[in-house]
Amino acid sequence: MNQQTTEYEYRVAAQPDFSFLTVRLQPEQTIKVEASAMATMDTNLRMKTKMRGGLGRLITGESLFINEFTAQSGPGEIGIAPGAPGDLDHVYLENDTIFLQNTAYVASSPAVTIETKWQGFVKGFFSGESLFLIKCSGQGDLWFNTFGGMIAIDVNGSYTVDTGHVVAFTSGLEYRVGRIGGYKSLFFSGEGLVCHFSGTGRLWIQTRKIGAFSNWVYPYRPQGRD
Amino acid sequence: MQTEIVHSPGNAAARVQLDAGETITAEGGSMIALGGEVTLQTSTHQKGKGGLLKAAKRWLGGESFFLNHYTAGGAGGEVWLAQTLPGDMMKLALDGQTLVVQAGSFVACSSGVGMEVGWQGFKNFLSGESLFWLRIGGTGKLILSSYGAIYPVQVNGEYIVDTGHIVAFEETLQFKLSKAGKSWWSSILGGEGLVCKFQGQGIVWCQSHNAPSFGFAIGSKLRSR
Repeated sequence: MNQQTTEYEYRVAAQPDFSFLTVRLQPEQTIKVEASAMATMDTNLRMKTKMRGGLGRLITGESLFINEFTAQSGPGEIGIAPGAPGDLDHVYLENDTIFLQNTAYVASSPAVTIETKWQGFVKGFFSGESLFLIKCSGQGDLWFNTFGGMIAIDVNGSYTVDTGHVVAFTSGLEYRVGRIGGYKSLFFSGEGLVCHFSGTGRLWIQTRKIGAFSNWVYPYRPQGRD
Repeated sequence: MQTEIVHSPGNAAARVQLDAGETITAEGGSMIALGGEVTLQTSTHQKGKGGLLKAAKRWLGGESFFLNHYTAGGAGGEVWLAQTLPGDMMKLALDGQTLVVQAGSFVACSSGVGMEVGWQGFKNFLSGESLFWLRIGGTGKLILSSYGAIYPVQVNGEYIVDTGHIVAFEETLQFKLSKAGKSWWSSILGGEGLVCKFQGQGIVWCQSHNAPSFGFAIGSKLRSR
């Protein structure tokens, strides 16, 4: 049931629709967790709040703070619930880099560096996401989540993803924002802009997107009086 | 063409693998990713099948005005498709039969499959459901989506389904829209509106949830527009 990495013992429950992560910490072991994602924990865990990623994360709307939980005088468990209902995946970084979409970060080893990376105005503005990506690098465990199901794709060459469905990608991949098909498709296909990935690496996408869902809900809001 | 549906029933997505030269026609906005050598063409109709009038009817039926045609080049390719709402998808292989599909459930079909819009009469309008249903037939692959889980019901005789819970049904079934209760008064107050009464032999694919009900449940909690 429990999975074991070189650092942690963990398990993921209720995949793929309501994934919930539980990590077992050894005495004096620490884990970094996205702010407000802690759902349950043993009483011997101590929380320390740290500011991460500087101004970038303040602007992105992604929480500026990451909490560090440390087990004191004995082992302890922490239950971590991502904000959106969806899937969860784990990767072990061995001095390599993964880029996450703005809201995908869940938890990581303290040795993994979490930074925000400016995408550039054109990419950031048109990617349908924020102007920033989260850059995770170093050595250690990393967990990230999706809204909807998660699909991992090994890319060798090129792959195209609708903006808003990108969750994460390894550093061997580059992307540019563009259109698919002709100009008629750009305006009428309903697909809008896409991210064209190229290179060799792994790409994770999500089967739903939160922006499209909130657009669907919008017409059900009550009519204003004025 | 190989189709695989993943993450059923909560957040399903369909992976369609295309051989060289194969085309899949998909509902606008349903593509989430594509790989290999795939080109997109957008038009108001399927190749050699109708034009603007059909597109207008489809649009009135709650589908999009434009259809996207994904065609694989020499190396083949793959297209991932999904809907906006949480729910399931299903794939069907049509072999000459015709299905009636609730507007909004259509995701994609292969080139041997044709689509027409059928008028369901004013009665349906009263129930808040769509006025139009799609008639989809031919020979080839069809992908449909649902809000919630999909379950098939083999009708043998008579069966009643709320109009908001129908994904699709075989055309071999006769159907009649009627009120759920004895009187219109109880049908409307009871919140059931219209139901579909099926007769004969055939399959009805139902969805476990009704999207507008969910929309109204959330919408009433939000600030007004």
